[in-house]
Amino acid sequence: MSNLSLLLLLLGLLVVGYQIGLHRSRGLVRGATGERLHSRPQYHGVVVGLWAVGPALILVVIWQLLAPGVIEQALVSQLQDVQPGLSDQEQRVALRRIDNLASNKGLVMGAHDWELTAAQTLSAMRKTSGWILAGLSATLIALGLLFSLSRMSPSLRARNQVEKVVQGVLMISSGVAILTTIGIVLSMVGETLKFFTFISPLDFFLGTTWQPVFHVTETSGYGHYGMLPLLGGTVLVAAIALLFAIPVGLLAAIYLSEYAPGRVRSFAKPALEVLAGIPTIVYGVFALVTVGPFLASVGDMVGLHIRATSALTAGLVMGIMLIPFISSLSDDIITQVPKALRDGSLGLGATKSETIRKVVLPAALPGIAGAVLLAASRAVGETMIVVLAAGNAPVLTANPFEAVSTMTVTIVNQLTGDSDFAGPQSLVAFALGLTLFAITLVMNIVALAIVRKYREQYE
Amino acid sequence: MSTNSSTVSPAGATSTATTLSREQVATRVNASLRRRHRQEIIFKGMGIGATVVGLAFVAILFINIFSKGLPAFWQASITLDIYFDPEVVAIPDMPQRLSGESGNDFRQRRVDWENEVGLVNFNRLIQAAIAKVIPEAADHPRDAARLVTSGERIALRRLVIADPSIIGQTRRVTLYTDANIDVWLKGNIDRSLPDGQQMLNSRVREWADRLYEDGTISLRFSTALFQNPDSRSSLASAGLRGAFMGSLYMMLIVLLVAVPLGVASAIYLEEFASRNRVTDLIEVNINNLAAVPSIIFGLLGAAVFINYFKLPFSAPIVGGLVLSLMTLPTVIITTRATLKAIPPSIRHAALGIGASRTQAVFHHVLPLAIPGILTGAIIGMAQALGETAPLLLIGMNAFVASVPSTPFDQSNALPVQIYLWQGNELRNFFEGRTSAAIIVLLALMLSLNGLAIWLRKRFETRW
Amino acid sequence: MNNELDMSRTVAPATEASRGAGTAVPTPQAPTRSAVKPESAARVKMKTENVKVYYGEAEALHGIDMAILENEVISFIGPSGCGKSTFLRCLNRMNDTIDTARVTGTITLDGQDIYDPSLDVVLLRAQVGMVFQKPNPFPKSIFENIAYGPRLHGLASRKADLADIVESSLRRAGLWDEVKDRLHQPGTGLSGGQQQRLCIARAIAVSPEVILMDEPCSALDPIATSIIEELIHELKENFTIVIVTHNMQQAARVSDRTAFFHLGELVELADTGQIFTNPTHKRTEDYITGRYG
Repeated sequence: MSNLSLLLLLLGLLVVGYQIGLHRSRGLVRGATGERLHSRPQYHGVVVGLWAVGPALILVVIWQLLAPGVIEQALVSQLQDVQPGLSDQEQRVALRRIDNLASNKGLVMGAHDWELTAAQTLSAMRKTSGWILAGLSATLIALGLLFSLSRMSPSLRARNQVEKVVQGVLMISSGVAILTTIGIVLSMVGETLKFFTFISPLDFFLGTTWQPVFHVTETSGYGHYGMLPLLGGTVLVAAIALLFAIPVGLLAAIYLSEYAPGRVRSFAKPALEVLAGIPTIVYGVFALVTVGPFLASVGDMVGLHIRATSALTAGLVMGIMLIPFISSLSDDIITQVPKALRDGSLGLGATKSETIRKVVLPAALPGIAGAVLLAASRAVGETMIVVLAAGNAPVLTANPFEAVSTMTVTIVNQLTGDSDFAGPQSLVAFALGLTLFAITLVMNIVALAIVRKYREQYE
Repeated sequence: MSTNSSTVSPAGATSTATTLSREQVATRVNASLRRRHRQEIIFKGMGIGATVVGLAFVAILFINIFSKGLPAFWQASITLDIYFDPEVVAIPDMPQRLSGESGNDFRQRRVDWENEVGLVNFNRLIQAAIAKVIPEAADHPRDAARLVTSGERIALRRLVIADPSIIGQTRRVTLYTDANIDVWLKGNIDRSLPDGQQMLNSRVREWADRLYEDGTISLRFSTALFQNPDSRSSLASAGLRGAFMGSLYMMLIVLLVAVPLGVASAIYLEEFASRNRVTDLIEVNINNLAAVPSIIFGLLGAAVFINYFKLPFSAPIVGGLVLSLMTLPTVIITTRATLKAIPPSIRHAALGIGASRTQAVFHHVLPLAIPGILTGAIIGMAQALGETAPLLLIGMNAFVASVPSTPFDQSNALPVQIYLWQGNELRNFFEGRTSAAIIVLLALMLSLNGLAIWLRKRFETRW
Repeated sequence: MNNELDMSRTVAPATEASRGAGTAVPTPQAPTRSAVKPESAARVKMKTENVKVYYGEAEALHGIDMAILENEVISFIGPSGCGKSTFLRCLNRMNDTIDTARVTGTITLDGQDIYDPSLDVVLLRAQVGMVFQKPNPFPKSIFENIAYGPRLHGLASRKADLADIVESSLRRAGLWDEVKDRLHQPGTGLSGGQQQRLCIARAIAVSPEVILMDEPCSALDPIATSIIEELIHELKENFTIVIVTHNMQQAARVSDRTAFFHLGELVELADTGQIFTNPTHKRTEDYITGRYG
């Protein structure tokens, strides 16, 4: 039985259980005039339905998770009797072929007899497993039905039970976010510790050379895994991006919220926000194909050597990406500065720009600082633009016209196409990821705390 | 101006020496005015400048993409009368299923037959057809074959398999030319370059020009771009279908995982959870998760879903789960904002007539919040659609030349396809293809965002 | 500041003749204008003619004619929404900051049309200061709050001058003794009443001629209110004070003359004593006796 039809069947049973509960609970009070149901019959229906299907559903889920493993184990031990001496690789291939034969899908070229036999055994085992599951589920369903029906009485607080279940489901859902964070931290800490068995943390955090050796031989060692060139590149690109995005974003926000006539604002604001919706890969291609060559030719004209893929190219395009981010955050923050403060300043004869520069901006400064920090955390974690446009040269330099590499670029390079986390080459990605996570986490927490405090001040 | 003020001693003040007369005030204020108005103009000018710079980038970006990408939707195609010569296409009859034959055996014979069809040298059919339009091409069959992209042999094979009765007949067929012909005809390569630097020899270039002039080769709307998966052997046939299906599967998974989970968490946090340290922690955690770099989620996917749970590499199921976790905070935050905007009076009204808290939320609050929740869900899906970095870490940048039929198959995604195409060696051809793919991606994302905005406007309620 | 509003208004010549006119200008709407006490021989400080204010299409003020005399305290009373605050904000063109607001008619200060394009609104607001309903000290130190205006306008050429201006302004506002030891602490840390006196000190630091007060005590407790009222009394010697108030007792206590506004019209303007004991208009009487409000 396929999972889908099983699910549909259980759903059907839910409806049936619901109907039974509904009618039985109505029957409870029919005639007996003095007594009233505590909960409406619908809730009784749901309770019965849940009791009927819930335990069976849990069983099915657990069974589906475990049974294939158990069956495969049985099949493998059988194969080892029939066909001893299969290598791991051969065994894996054989299992896939047998699976295809058993489920009658795809095409198996030149199937051996022992494979056909094994396929028959496999389908037999699957069938048995299916029957056992069906039997157990039926029992659970029956028991659940009987139990819930026997408990049914007019005073049963069915609604409260249903609501408890609903709230429980909601609560578990909100736990997923926490689980994600825990998952991120645990998985990365585990792999990072593995990485530190190859390279010492000191060499990693304080090393100034990034030169991993990809094909490790006995003489070559693992190479150098010093993180500082990558951190330097990350900071350089992010700084260029912010140097460009903060003035443009902030001034645009000020102009649009304080000066622009309504028509200009209603056109320019959404137009700028379009930039926020563009995927970063598009910015990356734009940087690589258009901005890089443009900057290089401008450099030629003024006699500067600017590489087409450089910290400047990546930083500039990342800055474009951050403009709407900074401008919409600052816009929010500036409009939260109370009108009374502006009136106070204007009433003293200050001009509009004096009011903005000397009263509004200082008052909004904490909030803007928070916004800038959030933007910085974005810039540090941005990947695709730097992958395409920063030039991928892990050297420690402060020259924006040179190619650099960043932490995110290196994570992609070290992990791409490699799912085997055995050597430091791929494990270092997790060490870098954990460092990146820690850096952005601190920035985010500080930024969000500042912004929150700022909001409360004017609420 | 008034004259009688400066001498009056202010109440309670001891230092009157510094009190300015009103004339003095007026003079000094007037003296400062020029400078201050200039500052005002400069400041406003800087604001306008910044806005113009921002808008200019929007314009440059879009003009750039469209000027490169739009022509790529029209691809050089050659229309030929192909004679399915029985001598060349010498194949046995298509096998029929015999009674009592097992499924596996029949499929085996059928595939054997199809393989046999594949062995037919379809190039000879194409060469013969070209020789009919360019007589001297008969002497240069290799060059003639270079006109048509290699993948189109498969198109001919597909025609034969679909209907073996065409053997012996002549059919008018439109085939894609080689990618280099497309580049040459569109002028995407410098036509004045010497022979040594051209991708095509002079004879083929001359033929291409001739056929383009007489209309045998024309620029036609490229269906390959939408119907085919990626290809490396036949570049002109490379299309977005595989990547599109991969993205579609991932969005479905996001819809099925992130949206219900996100909405449920938001309802719990906003409507049920009491404010205590645990919910504060969840709140801080969600806000931070929303700002975690996307690549970190890729690392999570690689470590947990692939390395630990042994889910398949390069598969949309893993991509979808990773993107779901990534968009979860977005969905939660937008849904909470929607719920927060619904005034407490609605809840109080429901509670006041004896509804339980759960009833108040599900019967009264949620229906009002549905437009907002939908908006949040769509924004989350758009975010997932455009994300690239985490997918690189779970192997979705592998070259996949097939269309995935389930979320467990190997697959690409639209943004990753853009990443792969921009790196292709045949720059002249793939710059256009990449921009075309970007246009497709942007069109999808903008229409999703447009839908979200429309929903918000349509159902916007001011309380 | 933009002067685009000037396009929409009728430009009337500044009336030199109004200088020295000892009494209010008679108008059809307000036939009962009592003469000010003759012994004061006061001059007209500000004068308005047929001032109308529109918010979008809606006319909020229906043509106000009024003369404000030098060194008097004049209070505006009337029910909420009667237009008294709107009118007050016309007197130093604070309505310019509201996009939809449009002002027509003539307002003069010492005979000079304040909506004249050649007159800079910066200078006008330096001459006609304003104190708002809610104390709104800037999030700066006490010193910086007071120094803000003089600095902007370049009133103090030396640092010591600035310190003198700050001190004398705080003294005039009766706040010096309370804050002299903490001049460099944030102004937002003061109590509500102190904050409002800080705002008054901030306004007088630029030596204005007229101070507009928009319900300055409505956010304060009774003690703070009485301190401010006393202060108003003292400031009268040097400044012309226009005060909008909700509180009729306050108007009676602090003002020389009182104007009653209703539904965007100036119903009655007379000596405070007269308006509260013997109002000419039925509407005024109804309001004062509490029939509506």
